[in-house]
Amino acid sequence: MVIQSTAPINKAKTGTRRSNFFFCLSCLLCIALATACSTYSKPDVSLVSDALLTNEDEQMLWQKSEQEQLAFENNGLIYPDPELEDYLNQVVAKLRPQSVPEDLVIRVKVIKNAYLDAFTYPNGMIYIHTGLLARMENEDQLAAVLAHELIHCTQRHALRVFRRYRDQPAFLTAVQHAMLKTKGLQEMARYLGASGAMAAISGYTRELEAEADLLGIELMTAAGYNAKEAFALFDYMISEIEQEGLEEPFFFGSHPSVRQRVDNLQNLPDPVYLKERPVIKNRKLYFAKLGQLFLDNAGLDIRLGRFQAAMRGIEKFLQIKPDDSRAFFLLGEIYRQQGQAIDTHMALKNYNRAISLDPDYVAPHKAIGLIHYKNGHHALAKKFFESCLQLSPNAPDKAYIQGYLRQCTLGEEG
Amino acid sequence: MKKYIWIILFLFAAGCAACTHTGGISKPASYSFTIDIPEGWRKIDNNRYLFVTKESPFLQYIMVQNRPIDRSFRNTKKKMKREMFPEEAAQIIIDELISDQNLVNLRILDNTPATIKGHAGFKILYTYRDSEGEVYKTLYYGFIKEDTFFNLRFTAADQVYFKRDVGDFRNILNTFQIVENEAA
Repeated sequence: MVIQSTAPINKAKTGTRRSNFFFCLSCLLCIALATACSTYSKPDVSLVSDALLTNEDEQMLWQKSEQEQLAFENNGLIYPDPELEDYLNQVVAKLRPQSVPEDLVIRVKVIKNAYLDAFTYPNGMIYIHTGLLARMENEDQLAAVLAHELIHCTQRHALRVFRRYRDQPAFLTAVQHAMLKTKGLQEMARYLGASGAMAAISGYTRELEAEADLLGIELMTAAGYNAKEAFALFDYMISEIEQEGLEEPFFFGSHPSVRQRVDNLQNLPDPVYLKERPVIKNRKLYFAKLGQLFLDNAGLDIRLGRFQAAMRGIEKFLQIKPDDSRAFFLLGEIYRQQGQAIDTHMALKNYNRAISLDPDYVAPHKAIGLIHYKNGHHALAKKFFESCLQLSPNAPDKAYIQGYLRQCTLGEEG
Repeated sequence: MKKYIWIILFLFAAGCAACTHTGGISKPASYSFTIDIPEGWRKIDNNRYLFVTKESPFLQYIMVQNRPIDRSFRNTKKKMKREMFPEEAAQIIIDELISDQNLVNLRILDNTPATIKGHAGFKILYTYRDSEGEVYKTLYYGFIKEDTFFNLRFTAADQVYFKRDVGDFRNILNTFQIVENEAA
């Protein structure tokens, strides 16, 4: 049986029109659903003063959360940095209200993911993405996000949503599945589980998110942080999402979600955050604790082709470690992969700096070889490719390098 | 009320499904392809690529695609270019795979140059695990011809089906032929 590929092209415009129609319809329905969700008026559970886990449904929710976290963490998604985790947990401890029962252990872990997000499981486990941490400038901004997440947990938002919808589980599952289809996150949602997917991707109801904004600001202010920094962070995120046309799949990376955070903060009835007060900030400490994360996340941003975001991450890292060869190599990669003529010069400059800091670092040798090879400077390219194989005779990309060397030899002979 | 909710959900889901394609309208690829499908494999209709399976896509599938190089990927903003080396094209595919939120425990086992019916390209071998813990292995071939990026991939459950069916994929690879699109 011989099969020829079908040409989808003639259908493209019709398909797009249909997509637009369904997109508009989806938007209207989303609004309808969100409005339905936001008609919620009064919490049907007592809040933090209640003893935890006295109710069967909360016990079940915690057990489910633990299972979901186990599956999630066993899949290499966690960014392993115990010192950073300690620091994040110290910030959470500063924010934690005294009224929270002692048996609610709140912990923070970092997820290796360049997208902007943070989310909380009902049992007190907060996850925050490297992408969001890398965008922050100081501890106040970190406190703003952690306080928001902490409120989801202390006010038992997951339990409240669960109780509201427990008689309609099919409804909730169907909404989640439908929403996840738009994001291309089906598999990720399975890893996160029901609680995690709701917290990380769709967010809670609009009213519960607003409550997390309001009480979060109070929490951070009470802990001595400057609530204005919450604005600064969300404003920065909005401008980055707009300028770079980011379309992110998670809650904190979605333009409407971040815009809603800013609107909620602006509409606070008592602007406690505007009062002058001594602030913590801790910018230097924040940079020192996050150092390596800035660079690692920049590597993820480069993979995503988000070169400006990556550049900013590397610049932050270089403020702490100005002589790091990998940082200069990654800068070189940003210039080379953007591929403009002027960028080639900047790429070479950064690769050479990386080599001067660490002469045995193979990657910049190869990158320089590639630039010369592309420009037809075969003798020069050959020199760099040969040094790659001398430095790393069994490099995983050996077959490619040997191919370039053969072509260089032919080029020289020709 | 419940009835209406289900209608709303159905329409919502349909709308979402219609929006999942990325890349918008791009210029048609100048080249298409033909392949011979071995006995026992069946085609699953899809207007973006050729998709065949033997028993079930959860056990094994082969996907062949002729993609205009200017079409966006779902995750990375990087784009293929005509003058790219096979290794650079392979790097974009790896970046796309690593950035994919649905592929966890992704391991790139091999990334080497490959010739596909006389065209200089690349070959990537990788594994990943799904949420049920099943490990899948993919053999991915790709090359750029002018404004078209061709890719042929075979994915199967790693335990039994990859080894059993990879031969069929190689047979398909041998029958692969490029055809010039009349419309282009």
